[in-house]
Amino acid sequence: MLERMLNSRLAQWLDDRTHVVQYIRFHLIDYPTPKNLNYWYAFGSIALVVLIIQVLSGVFLAMDYKPSALPTGNGFSMAFDSIERIMREVNDGWLIRYMHAVGASAFFFVIYLHMARGMYYGSYKKPREFLWIMGVLILVIMQATVFFGYLLPWGQMSFWGATVITNIFGAIPGIGDWLLQLVRGGYGVGDVTLNRFFALHFLFPFLLFAVVFWHVMALHVVHSNNPEGIEPGEKGIIPFHPYYTVKDLFGIGVFLIVYSWFVFFDPTGHGLIIETNNFNPADPLKTPPDITPVWYLTPWYEILRSVPNKLLGIVGMAFAYVCLFLMPWLDRSPVRSARYRPVYRAMLFVFFASIGVLGYCGHHEVTPELLLIGRIASVVYFAFFALLPFVHKFEKTRPVPEEI
Amino acid sequence: MKRWMAWLALLGWLGLPGGPGSALAEEAAPPLKPVTLSFDQKTLKQGAHVFAEVCMGCHSLRYVTWKHLMDYPEIGMTREEVDEMRGDAPLTAPIKTALSEEDAKASYGIVPPDLTLMARAREGGGAYIYSLLLGFEHDPKGKVPDGNYNVYFPGHRIAMADPLGWLDHDADEEADIKAQARAVASFLAFVGEPHQLERKALGKKVLIFLVVLTLLFWLLKREVWKDVH
Ligand code: HEC
Ligand code: HEM
Repeated sequence: MLERMLNSRLAQWLDDRTHVVQYIRFHLIDYPTPKNLNYWYAFGSIALVVLIIQVLSGVFLAMDYKPSALPTGNGFSMAFDSIERIMREVNDGWLIRYMHAVGASAFFFVIYLHMARGMYYGSYKKPREFLWIMGVLILVIMQATVFFGYLLPWGQMSFWGATVITNIFGAIPGIGDWLLQLVRGGYGVGDVTLNRFFALHFLFPFLLFAVVFWHVMALHVVHSNNPEGIEPGEKGIIPFHPYYTVKDLFGIGVFLIVYSWFVFFDPTGHGLIIETNNFNPADPLKTPPDITPVWYLTPWYEILRSVPNKLLGIVGMAFAYVCLFLMPWLDRSPVRSARYRPVYRAMLFVFFASIGVLGYCGHHEVTPELLLIGRIASVVYFAFFALLPFVHKFEKTRPVPEEI
Repeated sequence: MKRWMAWLALLGWLGLPGGPGSALAEEAAPPLKPVTLSFDQKTLKQGAHVFAEVCMGCHSLRYVTWKHLMDYPEIGMTREEVDEMRGDAPLTAPIKTALSEEDAKASYGIVPPDLTLMARAREGGGAYIYSLLLGFEHDPKGKVPDGNYNVYFPGHRIAMADPLGWLDHDADEEADIKAQARAVASFLAFVGEPHQLERKALGKKVLIFLVVLTLLFWLLKREVWKDVH
């Protein structure tokens, strides 16, 4: 049926004028893929599905959302009221909102696994450096996007989260105050901030689309790596369609089951997806006892927080991203896949654990013990990257197979 | 030597006080009282009555109109029942207290919070509201006046004075007060998210559909891949 469509007269007419059929054939049908890609390789397609879910649900939310902090009585605001209107009065509004809120968490969950896969199989290495860099850039844009988005319901955590995070900009010497006012549009987080965050939250997903497009274009030049980390060779190649279209469909199906389970049965994720305190309207006079970001931002937040000096904290956090960007050049081992790199593999697991610990600490109120644990985890995080350039000198890699 | 100093600096940093966001831990509240909320018509109607007769003296439900009490099938009140409760408030108006913000501030020092989302805005949800209503005690230190000491409220001093008369209740009142607390907690947990039962019902159908679809994808995948080695 697909062939019939691609050979139809309409398709031919279009192809003569814009080459669409050739593009489709090149990128989605004949595109050569290693035959040994496992289900970890489905997360790229799944991420694309989530991105589309987010954009669609977001557009529908925007039709009923009002970005205004105008007070409406007893501490409530137009923005908060409009969200509750979506939850209560708009037909299936609750579904759209939960899809979007759960989708945000799902997006990070999928992306973190996607990145972990890339690290495990050495997919960041030559010739996939640019692919990797676009990936890290995607992560940064995603984090900015959720940060803007989280302000929109104008609840307690929205307001105080944005206040704490924008405060960080104020710590930059010289331009701090100017930058702070630029981001907030005034001295404090207020109506102006809400308006511009809404505009940016609408804009950023389109940037995301652009960078994702480039990410995939880069992939289609250098092609997929694979779990063995070796060149697949003639015999190791199969066309994307039908093999990976059906394999990815199955992966997407499994993802949708888990995602829907949360949307329908645990949409707040017990306070992990929508924080409990965000059902209280924003109150600038009442600082919540513990202000922590949502789980997917907490590892980075914990690195920031574990430094007593604000400015150095920012430097530390920025450096955490810089390390990720530099990964292709920090690692000098000729072997890609962790399957054949015992030392790197062990380091990687410790690194993943450190991110988990950082995330846990960043999600809880600071106590002296947690502070210490968070600091040790920060050291482990950076130690991973610091050791990376030297591993190849003493690591005895296991023999790599000839073909996949 | 240099390396030694670097280690020392590292150790020193590990012991330093925290950066932004550091706070002191609050004193812990006792575990919530066990309660099973229910969303059947009888309980929800009773809860709506408790709300209108007691809580509405001070609290509003800004997102719930009188008409909603008829329209949400889970509550399913009749027009007569609603008319009796609402007095001359318009049917489509939100359920609102007669207490003005100024009077509230004068009497309690604070405007009582809106209760529509209260069950969603507190850890423990409906069980917290239930426990709070039954959490009034005599202050062991004797500082907080009777009726304003509540073991479940952060800081224990609450501006709301024992609305259900739990403090110093007789033994034969106990069951009734508990039933009222449970009913109003259920009612508030329901109106906090009025589409929650619909959500779960739809969820079952969606999941069944997705499981079947995914199973088909799996069979398809197995078929397509059977001669790749
Ligand atoms: C006499 C006025 C009055 C009545 C009647 C009243 N409340 Fe309150 N309520 C208050 C005030 C004032 C507060 C604010 C307490 C504070 O912040 O110290 C409050 C706060 C609350 C809170 C929030 C506690 C928190 O964690 O912040 C809940 C829940 C609550 N009331 C439930 C009820 C319920 C349920 C009823 C009916 C059974 C009721 N109230 C009846 C005055 C009242
Ligand atoms: C919106 C977010 C993203 C989308 C839609 C996306 C999409 C994709 C797709 C479709 C693939 C090919 C299938 C696969 O290998 O999984 C891919 C591969 C890859 N992506 Fe992403 N990606 C995203 C984010 C990221 C991020 C944040 C990183 C890392 C920082 C990253 C790094 C990689 C790498 C290294 C590969 C090649 C893997 C290999 O060949 O082994 N991607 N991406």
